[in-house]
Amino acid sequence: MTIQDAPLQHNHPDSVPPALEKTVVKSWKAPIAFGIFSIIAILLFVVFGREGVSGFRLSTDSDFVQIPTIEAPTRATGIVLTVLLVALAAYSAFLVSRNRPVRLWITVVFALLFLVAFLTWAAAGATIPVPGLLVGAVGLSVPLVFGALGGVISERVGVVNVAIEGQLLAGAFVSAVVASVTGQAVLGLISAMAAGVLVSFVLAAFSIKYFVDQVIVGVVLNVLVTGLTSFLYSQVLTKNTDLLNNSATIRLPRLPIPGLSEIPILGPVLFRQTIIVYILYVAVAVVFFALFKTRWGLRLRAVGEHPQAADTVGINVARTRFWNVSLAGAIAGLGGAYFTMGSVGSFNKEMTAGAGFIALAAVIFGRWDPIRATLAALLFGFASNLQSVLSIIGSPVPSEFMLMLPYLVTIFAVAGVVGRVRGPAASGKAYIKS
Amino acid sequence: MPCAGVSTRVTLGNVRNHTALRSAFIAGQSLEDILSKTIRRAAMGGIATLGFAALLAGCASAPAETGSTDAAASNALPCMVSDAGGFDDKSFNQAGFEGLNDAAKKLGVEPVTVQSDSETAFAPNISSLVDQNCTLIVTVGFALADATKAAAEANSDIEFAIIDDASITADNVKPITFDTAGAAFLAGYAAADYSKSGIVATWGGMNFPTVTIFMDGFAQGVKYYNEQKSKDVKVLGYDLDNPDSATFTGGFEANDVAKTTAQNFIDQGADILLPVGGPIYQSAGVAIQESGKDIAMVGVDSDLYESDPTYKDLYLTSILKGIKTATDTVVTDAAAGDFSSEPYVGTLENDGVGMASFHDFESKVNPSLQGEIDDLKAKIVSGDVKVSSYLSK
Repeated sequence: MTIQDAPLQHNHPDSVPPALEKTVVKSWKAPIAFGIFSIIAILLFVVFGREGVSGFRLSTDSDFVQIPTIEAPTRATGIVLTVLLVALAAYSAFLVSRNRPVRLWITVVFALLFLVAFLTWAAAGATIPVPGLLVGAVGLSVPLVFGALGGVISERVGVVNVAIEGQLLAGAFVSAVVASVTGQAVLGLISAMAAGVLVSFVLAAFSIKYFVDQVIVGVVLNVLVTGLTSFLYSQVLTKNTDLLNNSATIRLPRLPIPGLSEIPILGPVLFRQTIIVYILYVAVAVVFFALFKTRWGLRLRAVGEHPQAADTVGINVARTRFWNVSLAGAIAGLGGAYFTMGSVGSFNKEMTAGAGFIALAAVIFGRWDPIRATLAALLFGFASNLQSVLSIIGSPVPSEFMLMLPYLVTIFAVAGVVGRVRGPAASGKAYIKS
Repeated sequence: MPCAGVSTRVTLGNVRNHTALRSAFIAGQSLEDILSKTIRRAAMGGIATLGFAALLAGCASAPAETGSTDAAASNALPCMVSDAGGFDDKSFNQAGFEGLNDAAKKLGVEPVTVQSDSETAFAPNISSLVDQNCTLIVTVGFALADATKAAAEANSDIEFAIIDDASITADNVKPITFDTAGAAFLAGYAAADYSKSGIVATWGGMNFPTVTIFMDGFAQGVKYYNEQKSKDVKVLGYDLDNPDSATFTGGFEANDVAKTTAQNFIDQGADILLPVGGPIYQSAGVAIQESGKDIAMVGVDSDLYESDPTYKDLYLTSILKGIKTATDTVVTDAAAGDFSSEPYVGTLENDGVGMASFHDFESKVNPSLQGEIDDLKAKIVSGDVKVSSYLSK
């Protein structure tokens, strides 16, 4: 799970003698990757280009400002964009040959151009609803982001959190039942956090107090929560749906933010959401700030990197770990509430369907950083929904291949952009005070 | 089996009928199964204790002499294995389970049922039922075909029936299949007639023949409607010329993925939705309610208007698949000694499949539509209109 034996990086200025000569490592990774994608672009968009007109609908029916649908001739647009892609690839190769680094913006622009070219190609003779595509992408990402935030906090403090799936599922189940019985959305959300905390308590107790292998405890917790919620669903919830699993009372309304929700494209995507999504925006910012700018964050990271050192200066390692793992559970539990209260409205057996494991992957792909992990989760959500939209507008690609798309995109993104990752040094290791 | 193996192999909670109490060996069942089953039947603690006592006693007495004393009503012991969906899936497992229970009630016997939690549990579950001296073992779902075939070859004296699979030809196996394409054809015709936007949509959970047969029939029905009425109603999510590119959610969970898929279809202007695959229709219902648009849904397997009234104002109609009735019939016949390996195929003709009524939509659909549907059904039964499917090529 973590790369514990990663070589020390030479980033300690006082441990390195004054540099006599500046060495520049030439990395051809970016130009090679751009080159491969340029070849794909030439083949797909030019050689095997599709005829027709590609439409991009930018407004929803309920928008205040209506933007007309953009219509672009498929093949011509593909050729223009491919030329740009090839130019960018050549430019990056030029930069590397002159020992200059390939900046991040080049990668971003290249990726965006390729995406637009691909969408144009795929949408030949059809129209892609851009707001719908993005709304769905955000919707699919929300539980992943919550789970990833929980994972980041937990791993930064030194406890590997494989139980994200269980925390999500517990949150989904408990919030549905509580919201259904009480009719109070707030109670539903609080109980979801409590459920996540309960799962975390078990993880924390076993891994911190009894030094049980953290991964094993996490896996067992996932199985336990899956079994328990499925059992209760079959035996209790299905027998009394109106009282315990009533989607009419569980589901939260969408709360459009006045003004902001009328911004074209962004409005429907970001500001016509349920309260859970707005909490998410705040949570990402708060976790990022707190982790890197506050005393709490510094102590948390110290415990995760070098518990012995933290202990020496008077930080209670066990207590810090325990409460932060619990906090991680609360955040992941809130993500679980999104499945029931924020999205579908009723609990279903195993409804998280592996989202917790994708969130765990997002933690690692995001290099244990809340913002990067969020972006990784968004990328996965986008790829998932793109797959769905493309399949619907009549892509000629077989459906089994399409269903692989989100995973393929994530793997490519990780291999190409993220590179080598190094987790918190003490993550996964029990701290035994000597 | 030697008594030494008892302590590790037995599942207390699994014993459901009195005849089986003496031979509560569950050979080769996975630990996970045992755990889950034990939990599931935690409420039946009393019986479990009894079972344990009987098991201890079973070491002394020979487990072979079963069914002699408490064969109250019938010597038949019908049994059933679910696929990974479980008996509460609101879909074919549940329908089969209900059919089995109905038949068993009439026969006055207590059926033995085992849920499979994963594919690896199929073969062990069947063999454990063999050990329980079942006379008829119904396996639910084509996923169990291999396991059923192997068990049927090894136990020629036991009768088997498999739901949704026609691949096995053996003297002691009765395949029960449903040519739902015919019923879906009718629903497709009705949907095309009702659609105002001229766009209808269908998608599945996963690419299984029992899923795509609905989508296939539905698309054929729309195509037939277009030919008859010179219209151009489009089907999204399933292309008759390229069925491999059909849309699937990738699973049978009613979650945000299923909901987003429905939303994407709504964004494309579809106003009739046919989600095929267990509970995923629930997510579609939420997506429709959220869209605030005038969109209807077609139910699958049972008349969802009756069985899940949560979204009853959204159901244009439902495509019916008579698993419950067929299972009931097969179990009852087998108990009466009328078992045959001749496949049962549910069709429009024998009412094994059908289309539900329009319920709340009765006043909204074209007044002549029900008549046209009835005519069309007669034509399909007589063979004037051909509906193709993997069962009737």
